[in-house]
Amino acid sequence: MASLTDPDALLDEHKPDAGRTGAAPAVQLRAITRVFGVAPALVRVDLRVEAGEVLLLRGPNGAGKSTLLGVIATAISPTYGSGTVFGLDLVAGRDEIRRRSELVGHRTRLYEDLSATENLRFVCALHGADERRVDPALERVGLAPVAGDRVRGYSQGMRQRVALARAFLRSPDLLLLDEPYAGLDDPAKDLVDEEIRATRARGGTVIVATHDPTRGSAATRSLYMDGGRLLPELRRAAR
Amino acid sequence: MSALGQALAIAKKDLRIEVRGRHVAGTILPFAGTLLIAFGLSLGPGRSLLRQTAPGLLWLAVLFASVLAFRQAYQAEGEDGAFESLILAPIDKASVFLGKAAAVVVELLALEAVVVGLVVVLFDLPVGHAPVVLAGAFVLGTIGLAVVGSLFGALAEMPRTREAIFPLLVLPLCTPVLVAGVKATELATTGPAGQAGSWLGLLLAFDVVVTGVGSLLFVYLVED
Amino acid sequence: MSTAERLMSSLTARRGERVLAWLAVGAVGVSAVLSLVASPPDAEQGGLIRLMYVHVPAAWVAYLAFAVVFVASVAYLRTRKTRWDRVAAASAEVGVLFTALTIVLGSIWAKPVWGTWWTWDPRLTTTAILLVIYVGYLAVRRLPDNPARRARWAAVVGIVGFVDVPIVHLSVRWWRSLHQAPARLIGVPDVSGSMGVALGVGFIAFTLVYLYFMALRLRVGRLEERVVAEALSPRIGQPAEALMEEPARG
Repeated sequence: MASLTDPDALLDEHKPDAGRTGAAPAVQLRAITRVFGVAPALVRVDLRVEAGEVLLLRGPNGAGKSTLLGVIATAISPTYGSGTVFGLDLVAGRDEIRRRSELVGHRTRLYEDLSATENLRFVCALHGADERRVDPALERVGLAPVAGDRVRGYSQGMRQRVALARAFLRSPDLLLLDEPYAGLDDPAKDLVDEEIRATRARGGTVIVATHDPTRGSAATRSLYMDGGRLLPELRRAAR
Repeated sequence: MSALGQALAIAKKDLRIEVRGRHVAGTILPFAGTLLIAFGLSLGPGRSLLRQTAPGLLWLAVLFASVLAFRQAYQAEGEDGAFESLILAPIDKASVFLGKAAAVVVELLALEAVVVGLVVVLFDLPVGHAPVVLAGAFVLGTIGLAVVGSLFGALAEMPRTREAIFPLLVLPLCTPVLVAGVKATELATTGPAGQAGSWLGLLLAFDVVVTGVGSLLFVYLVED
Repeated sequence: MSTAERLMSSLTARRGERVLAWLAVGAVGVSAVLSLVASPPDAEQGGLIRLMYVHVPAAWVAYLAFAVVFVASVAYLRTRKTRWDRVAAASAEVGVLFTALTIVLGSIWAKPVWGTWWTWDPRLTTTAILLVIYVGYLAVRRLPDNPARRARWAAVVGIVGFVDVPIVHLSVRWWRSLHQAPARLIGVPDVSGSMGVALGVGFIAFTLVYLYFMALRLRVGRLEERVVAEALSPRIGQPAEALMEEPARG
């Protein structure tokens, strides 16, 4: 058991409020349970993530990582329990949380009949962001030459680059990445890491769900999920 | 950005998708034309019968076209999960409802212009008597169809939904649009157009009620 | 609100359910005697008029049931309490049953009196559209496997459907008034004296039957919820009773 080798990690998790003061944590969840039908996807999850952390979530498929990110992004509401992001309630503070966070999920959430540029311009319109940031963001992920082409013709890897460009141009305070490395080549994976570092460098917080063991070097902490529960991962395993 | 601006941005985006993909122009419009020909064939070649039933057939074609238009509008949202982005944007969800309705109103009005032309040719419907009343009926009726479709189209695009649920909800709820649209069209073409006022009023009332109720309730359909 | 909730929970207790059952059976019996034996045959329709004593109360219950769906749907969206969703679900099912009954009874009545099973009378047409709208409502209830989402979707349909009904009725009435009425169309007969009493008792009897069905269906709804809670309880390590408490949201 983790508690035998590393009691501190357990202590941190099970007393989320212990001895910490100052500004509101980036994420604070209390006994979050989410049920789909009679299948619980999250079981009484407590989590505290400080601003500036890069938290790595590991665990097998179906462990509840995506649901957890969805709850933090306010895409999925908890069935039981409560939580805050930047001190804002997950339900009452929904819009402000959404303004300050970005979820990069399994699906790249693009309009097939629009070009990458048009897709991102629409994102700017919805979020009130400056449209002039679109071209540099696409440049950064290496899509500038094909930015005017319809997304329908893009490969999965290219789509994920567009999704990454969306994160670049929004520069959120909280970046939630759900299996960001899946299906990407090494240069693209490096882009993900670059985005994680950039977010951290400007004081933002990142939560990454991944089961790619070769990635996540930027992480400051790592947790393990299984069966909808959050377990502290051994510190040496995270290194 | 204001809720109205957001709705406009969403409508513009949907219209751009239509311009690129030509779903309404390339698929739904030919379908509506086919329907009209099928109606004509099923009713026989009798000139007066066709002329008499033309307003009803016209509106049935529009009704089916609107169902398809909304399936299309929400499929574009669902294909790659883009709808989630829309929900996760910090905007008033009523603007999504209104924006998608507005885009389909524009698409359907363009479609109707062609379909009316077809009906004039195929069914010998005289449309020159009261063009303002006729246009009013189509604009108000189309808005009614669009707000119902925009509301429940969102539901039909959600995961694990069956496709047939959408027409099952939309068609009976749109009864007033069908009835009032047909009657106003009848009066504007072959009847005394002056009597169409109450039908146009009914359409307007339907639009106002469903737009209001839909703006309030849409958020409950799309938020988890 | 709390009075309504108290009334609801006493109605749905087992004892309340049994009392309701007996009241309903008794009232239906009295109504049968009054409408079949005690009330006079109609001058024009003869014994056929007796169909009125079931047809009209059935229609009343149908509209009552859908009004309850509307109120419960609004209450659910405002409070997010699952009991309101149970009420809406129960009332919609009973309402669809009685709407179908109304149409069937009306057809049986119309055939000998009007000489046709169906006429595009505004009331008939509205009732038929009502039936389809709420069949759609029940179909929506079968869609999502997540109870909270199902409740929200259903509530939206329950509200929009009910708001739509008056407009549907108005449109159909105007539409009908422009057509030639069938020559033999006979309106609602003059109801007075013992006929009025029989009809009044019919209303009471059908309302009691509605309440009894509601009580039964609400108990089934609670049991269904308990099954889910019991299945969930070991998986998330919470007692089923705690899960039966209204979840805050989700």
